[in-house]
Amino acid sequence: MLTRRTVVGKMALAAMLPAIAASPLSAIAATATPKPTPEELATAALLHTAFPHARLDAAFYSGVAGRYLAEIAKDPAAMAEHRRGLALLDGSYIAPFAQLPEMVRRSMVARYDQEPFFKALIWRGAELIYRDAAVWKMVGYEGSSVEYGGYIERGFDDIDWLPAAGGAK
Amino acid sequence: MTHFSLDDSSVFVVIGSGAGGGVLGNELAQKGHKVVCLEAGRRLEMSDIVNDEAAMFGKLTWLDRRMATGKPDPNFPVWGCKTVGGTTMHWTGACPRFEPHEMRARTTYGALPDTTLVDWPVTPEEIAPWYDKAEVRLGVTGRQGMPFLPPGNNFKVLEAGARKCGYTDIDTHNMAINSIERDDRPSCHQLGFCTSGCAVGAKWSTLYTEIPKAEETGRFELRPECMVTGIELGPDGRVSGVTYLHQGKRVTQKARAVAVAGNVVETTRLLLNNSSDRHPQGLANSSGLVGRNYMRHFTIQVMGVMPGKVHFHRQTHLAGVVRDERGHRPERGFAGGFLISTVPFTPEILAKNMITGGWGRDLTEVLDKYDQLAGMLLTGEDPPQLSNRITLHPTERDGYGLPVPVIHYEDHPNTIAMKEYAWKAGRRIYEALGAENVIEMGDYIPATHNMGTARMGDDPRASVCSPFGRTHDVANLYIADGSLFPTAGGCNPTLTIVALALRQAQHIDREVAAGRL
Ligand SMILES: Cc1cc2nc3c(=O)[nH]c(=O)nc-3n(C[C@H](O)[C@H](O)[C@H](O)COP(=O)(O)OP(=O)(O)OC[C@H]3O[C@@H](n4cnc5c(N)ncnc54)[C@H](O)[C@@H]3O)c2cc1C
Ligand code: SF4
Repeated sequence: MLTRRTVVGKMALAAMLPAIAASPLSAIAATATPKPTPEELATAALLHTAFPHARLDAAFYSGVAGRYLAEIAKDPAAMAEHRRGLALLDGSYIAPFAQLPEMVRRSMVARYDQEPFFKALIWRGAELIYRDAAVWKMVGYEGSSVEYGGYIERGFDDIDWLPAAGGAK
Repeated sequence: MTHFSLDDSSVFVVIGSGAGGGVLGNELAQKGHKVVCLEAGRRLEMSDIVNDEAAMFGKLTWLDRRMATGKPDPNFPVWGCKTVGGTTMHWTGACPRFEPHEMRARTTYGALPDTTLVDWPVTPEEIAPWYDKAEVRLGVTGRQGMPFLPPGNNFKVLEAGARKCGYTDIDTHNMAINSIERDDRPSCHQLGFCTSGCAVGAKWSTLYTEIPKAEETGRFELRPECMVTGIELGPDGRVSGVTYLHQGKRVTQKARAVAVAGNVVETTRLLLNNSSDRHPQGLANSSGLVGRNYMRHFTIQVMGVMPGKVHFHRQTHLAGVVRDERGHRPERGFAGGFLISTVPFTPEILAKNMITGGWGRDLTEVLDKYDQLAGMLLTGEDPPQLSNRITLHPTERDGYGLPVPVIHYEDHPNTIAMKEYAWKAGRRIYEALGAENVIEMGDYIPATHNMGTARMGDDPRASVCSPFGRTHDVANLYIADGSLFPTAGGCNPTLTIVALALRQAQHIDREVAAGRL
């Protein structure tokens, strides 16, 4: 059982809200380059460690990594901070971060998860990953419904496993 | 299109077009008065409303700079709208009434240390007929003959779990969302995007209810993209007009009287930023209370990974309520109470909400079971404290060149005790149904309910406004939003804002008839 409120830290923007600069996602996987650079590999490994979904493959995470790197490339300070973070991770162990077993990666990220580079990555990473239609499909979120007449005829009340489900008074 | 001259000093100026301003403006126009409604935001068309939270956040939300100290997010302490319709675009439509014991908070709760608890100067008996009128106006379900909305999945989980815990006061809530076609608007199609502006118009928003109706009278002029910065006084000490910024230009409109409904933070900023020799502490602030006693309710969440599919995104955000914890039962260890209702999240918002607490499997385990999630929102009374306060930053300026408002807020120990209890109560509900995992979260969400900074009262030294919302200091200056609330109650504020606005309109109408306005 989790009790998140005991470990809650303040983020820059309130968590309830979607990002101000919302850019739609299109075919993440297509943006993945055939030969990933070490930077892309490390960023992808970091994203995989932060958001591990068994149903998402390596190509997916490298696609998100590529997109993230392309975005921060426009912001030298953000890129410098990200590179500083990757250097911390790569320099702390015998092998580059991307080549470490998952368990080791997790414990290393735990050591650095209050660093600005990581906070920035998971914030934007959450947007890039969970605004993707393919991920919606995977987790069962159905998105915009107005064009289908809403969910009123599409299962808004179809729950069938409750003990003696009641109704409105 | 009605157009009033800037020199027409017989018009009523209403600042803000949300719940308070939209209703007051329409009501005055219906009663035969001329109204100019000044709104800082743009006027959207129905076709601008899409089922996309991120896109609508950009179109609707008030993003001008604000700051905070204490508990809230330092850069985004308050969540509201800047658009025609105000925060009735974002709102989820829940319309509970204040309970009589909450309107007599000081009498019921006694002297709570470090608070300024008072009884309302308006009695429950006096406000009851105005609640009736407000419910008819908004088409509130389960009231005045309007049927309840149908129960959907997220609500059914809440209800089943709550009944197992012994709760009984449970239904799909009193909602300003059409359960039947009414008022030229359709019934709710269960789109599931209520906080993004209702794309079909089933949810009451002043954008497509009060405002067009007011315009039909031929006595109401809405001026969007007009940010009011000044309230001018004549030699007699009464308001003579207001000044606003429109497309970079300063414009002054003369006025017979002015009502401010900018939603607490902006209402406070406008008053404090209009100091003069006569009003050295800010307009209408001889009591020193403008900006003080800021209240915001706590809003926390509990998510449950349930044993079967829920699909909680498939319905109205706020889809039902459990009222059993609303009462005042000091044996729980705190004064006042709270409501339990439903809430869904998109995967993105859920993830962001959760990464404030962690990452990795803790997070993705929950997201992987997204379709099994049920969610609840717990909202409870917040006692007034003098030290919780909105002030103006001495040097920082926003895009208009106005001083940035600074919100200082800390939880009272009573609030902390109630929250701890509420988290446990929420957890129990999902555990009663065999939840695989229960997640308690959301202590840092920005305020959606704002109250208290220009409280009503009979004593001009202990309150800012009269029981009709007229400022004690300026005879033709009114406040028409949650700033008036002397205490916060344990429920959502908007129905009460609307009831008070309707009552204020009648008061103004009578004052005009009596030759006093
Ligand atoms: C996500 C969300 C969900 C909510 N759900 C509920 C709910 O279920 N039930 C409930 O009771 N309440 C709910 N609320 C709260 C509800 O929206 C507010 O209580 C209500 O809208 C307040 O009405 P108002 O008129 O005071 O302010 P608003 O509706 O915010 O309107 C104020 C308007 O004034 C304008 N303005 C401000 N300053 C100026 C200025 N200087 N010049 C010109 N214009 C100005 C703003 O742009 C805005 O349009 C919710 C709020 C949010 C954010
Ligand atoms: S669920 Fe109902 S009220 Fe909410 S957006 Fe959809 S139609 Fe409108």
